[in-house]
Amino acid sequence: MNKTEFMTELSHRLSGLNNEDIKKSLAYYNEIIEDSKEDGMSEEEAVASLGDIDEIATQIVMDTPITKLVKEKVKSTRTLQTWEILLIILGSPIWFSIGIAVASVIFSLYVAVWAIVFSLFVTVFALFVSAFAFLIAAVWLLFTKAFTQSALFLGAAFVIAGVTILLYLGTYYIAKGIAILTKNIFKAIKRSFVKKEEI
Amino acid sequence: MDKQLKRGMLDVCVLKAIKSEDSYGYRIIKDMKPYVEISESTLYPILRRLEASQLISVYSVEHNGRLRKYYHITQSGLQRIEDFKTEWEEIMTIYEYVTKEDDNE
Repeated sequence: MNKTEFMTELSHRLSGLNNEDIKKSLAYYNEIIEDSKEDGMSEEEAVASLGDIDEIATQIVMDTPITKLVKEKVKSTRTLQTWEILLIILGSPIWFSIGIAVASVIFSLYVAVWAIVFSLFVTVFALFVSAFAFLIAAVWLLFTKAFTQSALFLGAAFVIAGVTILLYLGTYYIAKGIAILTKNIFKAIKRSFVKKEEI
Repeated sequence: MDKQLKRGMLDVCVLKAIKSEDSYGYRIIKDMKPYVEISESTLYPILRRLEASQLISVYSVEHNGRLRKYYHITQSGLQRIEDFKTEWEEIMTIYEYVTKEDDNE
């Protein structure tokens, strides 16, 4: 392995740490390799003398305090300036109420959308029940020898059953689409607060 | 050797290696070699630890068109070496007592 390969490998393995720690670790090993070369080793020899790269990476990660590792995962994408913090605190009566208002509007929209989906499902269920009822009526009319009416009811039962299936499929895909959309929106919101994590 | 004990020892060894003159990673390892074999990956966490507890300070010097980090021992670092010495004087006294030939045997 040459130095570039070693550095790339190591930074991959350390990607859970913060950038500062990764940079420091890479700088340290870079320096050691360069000094080894100056001392007469070839680049390959210098890299090989460092030992197993897995062990090196594990040791660095193990040596990083757990609090730092955990903090790193929820670290915001950037740090706030003093004036920004001041503004946030001073503006809290305004943005807090606006925030609640916006959140409630979004929430009510969300509830409304799902209410539509729910009502569609209820319709599907009602249609299913009525198709079943028509079928029973048709069979019963058959026994009372009202054949024309029986045939009519049977036809109605099949038509309704067909509509039910189509409506069910449509509702199912709408619900699924909304669920996926919701998930993506939440992900986008989360991503704007939390740094994307590489593994 | 006990892991915790060895860790403390290596800390002091690294401090000793930069005591008389500021030094850098590769040279610290080389200078320590006749006494303690230490690998690059072992030295790194020790340096980080020593720096975090302010027993050493770090500065960069340009060397052959690249930066090389030099480590300098601080006052607390020097104090740590002194503490180590006193501690081990006590331990050596105990050692002498424990290994002493019994008179009435």
